[in-house]
Formats: sequence, C-alpha cells, structure tokens
Amino acid sequence: MSRVVVMDLSRHNAVLAGHERYFVFEQGGRRELVRDRCPHRGGPLSLGRLTPDGRRLTCPWHGTRLTTSALRRTALPMVRSGDHAVIVFPDLPAEVPVTPVRWRILANLPPPAEAPTAGGPPAPEVSEP
Amino acid sequence: MVTTSNDLLTHSVHSAQPAGKAERDLSRVHSFASDELFTGGPHVLHEPNPYRRMLMPDAVAEVDFGAPLLASEYAGHRALAGHRILGTFYEAETVLLPEQGLATLRGDFDAFYGPRLRRIRESCLSDLEDFAFSFLAGEVEVTGGCTVDVLEAYFQHAVAEAEQGESASLAAIAGASDPAVAADTYLVQLALDGLTEASAMSRNLGGAYGPEQSALFKIFIDEFGYGVFEAKHTSIFSKLLRSRAMQTHVHAYWNFYLAAPMATNNYYYYLSRDHAKFFRYAGAVTYAEAVFAPGFVKMIETYRGVFGDEVDLHYCEEHAHIDQHHGRITRDQVLLALARRHGDGVVPELLRGIAEARLLGAWFEEDTAAQIRWADSIDRHRELGAAALDGDAVAAGGTGGSTARGTGGSAGGSAGRPQRVELAAGHPFGTRNHDEPVVLQLADGEADLVTTATGRPHRLVRGDAVLVPAGRVYGVLAVSPRCAYQLHGAAPVH
Repeated sequence: MSRVVVMDLSRHNAVLAGHERYFVFEQGGRRELVRDRCPHRGGPLSLGRLTPDGRRLTCPWHGTRLTTSALRRTALPMVRSGDHAVIVFPDLPAEVPVTPVRWRILANLPPPAEAPTAGGPPAPEVSEP
Repeated sequence: MVTTSNDLLTHSVHSAQPAGKAERDLSRVHSFASDELFTGGPHVLHEPNPYRRMLMPDAVAEVDFGAPLLASEYAGHRALAGHRILGTFYEAETVLLPEQGLATLRGDFDAFYGPRLRRIRESCLSDLEDFAFSFLAGEVEVTGGCTVDVLEAYFQHAVAEAEQGESASLAAIAGASDPAVAADTYLVQLALDGLTEASAMSRNLGGAYGPEQSALFKIFIDEFGYGVFEAKHTSIFSKLLRSRAMQTHVHAYWNFYLAAPMATNNYYYYLSRDHAKFFRYAGAVTYAEAVFAPGFVKMIETYRGVFGDEVDLHYCEEHAHIDQHHGRITRDQVLLALARRHGDGVVPELLRGIAEARLLGAWFEEDTAAQIRWADSIDRHRELGAAALDGDAVAAGGTGGSTARGTGGSAGGSAGRPQRVELAAGHPFGTRNHDEPVVLQLADGEADLVTTATGRPHRLVRGDAVLVPAGRVYGVLAVSPRCAYQLHGAAPVH
C-alpha cells in the first residue's frame, strides 16, 4: 500500500521513515529524495562530500565512493511544485512513522578543490547500491 | 514625460538588450499586437466581434519577451500581456464566427485569419510559448521511480486535497461587500473557457491511440451536447450569463480576463498543440475533470447564497453531475490506462501534467480572489493611495497583501518622475496591470476607474488617488473631454 507524505522543502530537507532515512540531494538544478544509507556499511551519505569532479559521493565512514547516478536511482517518487513536495512511499505500512526533518547536508555542498585523503586501505568504489 | 493612452508607459525595459533572437521575437510580437484589430475601441466591453480584442500594444512594448516568465510573475504585467497575445494566437487556430453573421465583419475575418497575421503567429508561436511556460520545467519536477501505483496514489492525493481545500475565489465572493459583482467577476474568468469550451481538447482527438482515444471522445461529445446545440456546454454557460444580464458573445469580457486564468486556459492549448506533450495533457485534463465536480458543487452553494433562485445554474449542475463521470472515465480509461499500456516511462509526464494543472488552478483562484478583494475595496484603496502620496507609511491591508508608501518614482517603482497619461473622451479603452504597486492619481479633468465588468466604475476628480496593488487589472475611461492621470511608484515597506 502506497503512502503519501507532503513535505515543505523550505522547512525540511530529509525524512525519517521508520528506520530508514532519506535526504534531498540537489544536483544540476534537480532535487531528489534519496536514501541516506551507504550500500557498503550503511553510512550517512548526507554527510558525505562530492568528489572534485562532482560525479561521486564519498561516504564519511569508510570513504566509499558512490556515483551520483547510483545515488539518484535510490530516489523515492516525488512530485515537486515550488517547495511543495509530495512523496509517494511504495509499500510502506501505515503504522510506520514518517517524519520530515531538517539537518545539515554536506552532500549538497560544492565539491572541494581536492579529494579528501583517507588513511588505511583503498576506499571501495560502488556504482550500484 | 507626457504620453497618450496609446503609448502608455513606454519606458522600455528591453531597450538595453543586445540585438539578436529575442529582439527579433519582440518585434514580431509587437507587430502583431499593433495590428488594427487589436488596438481597441471606445467601449468597456468588446462588441460581438470575435476577431477584435484589445492587446494594449503600448503596454506590450514594455515587455521583454527575451526573458521567460518566472513563476513569481504569474499575475504580473508580462504574464497578462503575453497570455493575451498567446490566447489570441491559439484562438486563431479555432473557428470563430459571430452569432449575428459575418456580413459586416468579413474584413475582420479576413484579417484575423489572413496571411499577414498568420505568418507572424507561425513565426513566433513556439518562442511565445517558451516565454509563457518554460518556467514550468523548473517549478514542477518529478523524480524517483514512478510506477502506475505511484501515479494512482499521487492522483488520489491531489484530488482529495482539492476536494477538501477552500476555493479562494468563492471565499472572496462570500466575503465581499458587493457579492453580486464579485460573483460576476468569477463568471468572467470562467467565460474565457466557458464560451469556447473543449476547443483545446478537440486537438487531441485525431490520430490513433486505441481505447484511450475513444474514452476521451466520450468526454468530448458530452462537452458538445451530443450534437444538440442547446445542450452544448457553451450554450448552457451562456444561459448562466444571461441570467445575470451579462453578455454571451466571444469575448465580451476580454478586458477583464486576468493573467492567471488566461495562463490556465492557454496551458491546455499549449499541451494540445504539441503532441509530444500528450501525456502531460492526459494528466492535466484528468486532474481538471476530477476536481471540476466538487468545485462546481461549492460554486452552486456560493451562488445560491448570493443570488437565491435568480441565477441559472444549469451549467454548474451539469458539471457537478457529468464531471463525476468524466473524472472516473479520465482516471480509469485515460490516465491509468495510458500508464498501463505504455509503461512506467510515461508516468513522470502524466504526473507532471497533474502537478502543473494543480499549480495553475491554484493561481487562477488566487489571482481572481485578489482582483475581487481589491475591486470590492476601492474606497479603502483611495485612502491608501492618498496616504502613500503624502509620504506616510501605510498598510495596504486586504487586497494586495502589500504595504506601500509614495516614492515619487516611476510606475515601475524605480527612481524617476511619475508617468503622466493623457486621455480624450472616446479614446480606445483597455486594461492593464503593473508588476509593482502604483498609485494612480488624477491630474486633470474627470475619469472613471474601471475594475470590474459589471460593477459601477469609480469616478475620479482632480487630485483623487487610488492604490493599485501589483497585478490588479484596471482601465481608465475619460469622462471629461480630456483628462490626465499620473502613475506613481509605490514601494513595499518592510
């Protein structure tokens, strides 16, 4: 059963749906509500930074790099009109609480001039979630 | 600066624009608007001649058509000027004949449909559409994985929202000190489509697209009264107008159509002219048909409250009934059927059409309600206008939702002297609006300020001033042999 949630994007930029998190990812003038969970170990991608070429997002936990196109494929269906967004959650049970929230999203910052350096083993590349 | 009515407010915001494509487009559009058919007559209402409509060519000259409209300008001067022309372009692709016959109007018929204006239309229609509607690409966005189930869920949500929501226009009518005139103002906005109903839809009937085509045709034949002229929706809309002692010809009330209602009407032509936008059209028309029925139920309640049994609401009752069926048919046999037949790839366009129709419908309501509230409170806006000229900060409560003070600037709100406009009795009558609030002050003679199609005009004598909020449509009619008025910019106070 689909659930419909209305969100005011001037006030909120993320959604908690049960144990899942989604955040509004902005790139190329598009705003999409994407899953805030790295496919590697579940890190918060909203706190990741874009690589200098703007094509990948680096997870803050283990440095996993996820292509932005792969990130966008996790987007929930959303119809936006101005700041009025209607999100359709497919198959979300009625008893699961859904809460729009606002937090700082580093993933929407411009990419840094240089890629962040990470110690330890090479960071995995992930192109598919 | 002294101008005549025909070069009203000629400060050209486009004058600094480099020569190029946009400049050429502007000259073609202006050439069209300057045609003798479109320079207006002395009457407030247009006569029974569908080929003549006042396009205010000198107000059009202010418009920079090179920069597309913004969503925030939906009720503004550029929107009104652009949509008047675009609507004329679209209607020139329909068949308009006067009820009284063509005998004395053959020359106008030939000019309206003739090669000179047709070539102008054909050369700049796409650019004018881009000017008028390209903002939708950024204002409405559909993202994520969209399926038929998502489409159905969103559609149900959008329709429920409309059913539960209040109509801003009907609320404005109910709250007006002169609800009859307010109700007529709403009818005027409906007349834009009501007198040519389903003309845009007719453009989607050709071709071959299966059962969905037949479903749309069922709606179309309802609109056209199953071939019985008396049952055609335009005919029963005319009955409604006659019961209010209003004119029924196309387009008697041209001067009083507002920007957002014109945009809404043009939008359906825009989607119907280019079949690459067919799925958007299907979404939009499905939404419209679904919200019409509950909308007309609310309208019946409001109009019975204002007029009792003195108004013929057959048109509203017909829609309140038949649009329940149209809502079901378009949802099940057009919208969802198209999605199932053509796959998830078309769902984003269907969703976009629903969202765009919802957005424009809301603007229709807000623009109309704002005009009703302003026209209903001119005495209050006289006080505000006088106070603004005195330099006092004043609260422009109610209609415009803005606060204003006199600036001594030009009508556009920038620094400079006020614009002076001179009129002679019998001058062509037209209406316009402004992007920013202005104070209109009569400098010489006597004039009538016209803000509604059916209400009494407001007499202005030398020194009288009225605050005209941004977007509000008005016209000035000389009463004395000559008169002059000034337009002072009125800047928002924060």
